Amino acid sequence: MLDIEGCLAGALAVPGALDALVAEDAGGAAVASGSLTSLDPQALADAFTASLRTTLDALALSTPGGTVRLEDVIVTTDRGHHLLRPLCPTPAGTALLYLRLDGERANLALARHRLRAIAGRLGGG
Amino acid sequence: MASASRTDTAARRTGRGAPPPSRLDAVLGNLARERATGALRVGRAGTIYITGGRITYAESVHVPGVEDLLTASGRVAAAVVTEVRRAAAADGGETLVRQGTLTRGELQFCVLGATLDAAFSLHEVTGARPRFREGDRHWLGPQWYFDVAGLSRECRRRRLRLDHAWPSPALDTRPVVPAPRVTADRVVLTAVQWEVIVHADATATPADLARRLGRPVYPLLLAVRQLAAAGLLVPPAPANGTPGGPPPADPPAPGGAAAADGASGELPRREKGASRPAGAPPAHSADGTDVGVLIRLRDALERLL
Repeated sequence: MLDIEGCLAGALAVPGALDALVAEDAGGAAVASGSLTSLDPQALADAFTASLRTTLDALALSTPGGTVRLEDVIVTTDRGHHLLRPLCPTPAGTALLYLRLDGERANLALARHRLRAIAGRLGGG
Repeated sequence: MASASRTDTAARRTGRGAPPPSRLDAVLGNLARERATGALRVGRAGTIYITGGRITYAESVHVPGVEDLLTASGRVAAAVVTEVRRAAAADGGETLVRQGTLTRGELQFCVLGATLDAAFSLHEVTGARPRFREGDRHWLGPQWYFDVAGLSRECRRRRLRLDHAWPSPALDTRPVVPAPRVTADRVVLTAVQWEVIVHADATATPADLARRLGRPVYPLLLAVRQLAAAGLLVPPAPANGTPGGPPPADPPAPGGAAAADGASGELPRREKGASRPAGAPPAHSADGTDVGVLIRLRDALERLL
């Protein structure tokens, strides 16, 4: 079983991981972060929770015939990947995990597999 | 969750310096410096538990505590919580995890969420005289540690975010009344907004709804203000002859309530102004939705890169 710090450590142990952050969705607060070289955790939390909300808005408007459940959001740039993943739903809110990956060293499929396993070990639901 | 750079950024984002510390902030600051352990009672409004100078739990009479969140939501049976609480000295959280009631992640997130919610509520309390009792501990035991300055900063950030959604506290403490008819052709809601609309019965305030649903108050307050901004609630009765509630600082974001979320509000103002034509597209039109979503998607992506 994992706790929040363990979840963060697990994300940073993914090959090619550069930065990781855990935020909460109820208020959008940065909860824990690891290896953020020059980034402000709260600014990052603001940016990626806003991005997640926008993605959900767009999905709501673009998904014909039914409800979808978001598993993760992947943004690929010329330098790497950004992964956003909701995990550990609780009555108090859901955790949001952000992971930035190096494009040269990371394997996107492996990273998603690891994050799915982390979500399972964190529990909730 | 604290860093010096974050203070700078927060001050820059709000466009002004940090506000003068309140009495509560000053007392908490002293307790942090002394690395105190105990419970700080904030008048009759609630209690903040401190362990080694860091905040480990907060409860407010105005928001559901961890027990309420777990039981009202149906996640844990009330009898289980009562039993563990009765048997626990100051390690009830360990018991809940050990007996498999909750995972550690769930417990941490519930404590963290309840503490953020209560701290926000207690920061709004004025005039209460805080009293510290050395050595008092919460029955759950420490599950998450907040530094005092970081938690105060988070409370200020939450306040700003509420005001961005709809700059009036008028609806915060009144019964939520959904509008019987809306001018939009269709409406997009978040899950929390849906719960507010479904459970609003014209008598329950956001705090009542929170207790009933087993949710923190803050996300419901935010949802209520967003719904108000999107014109989906009956506005508060006019006071002093002013027609309707105070208008939002910005026109409601197009695309219904979901689009009125803090997503646009938290981005730098000038970008928003610059990218939106003077005659903003009418709310809820299909064009406005597309443009609004695209602009916010672009802005959000830019901030990520």
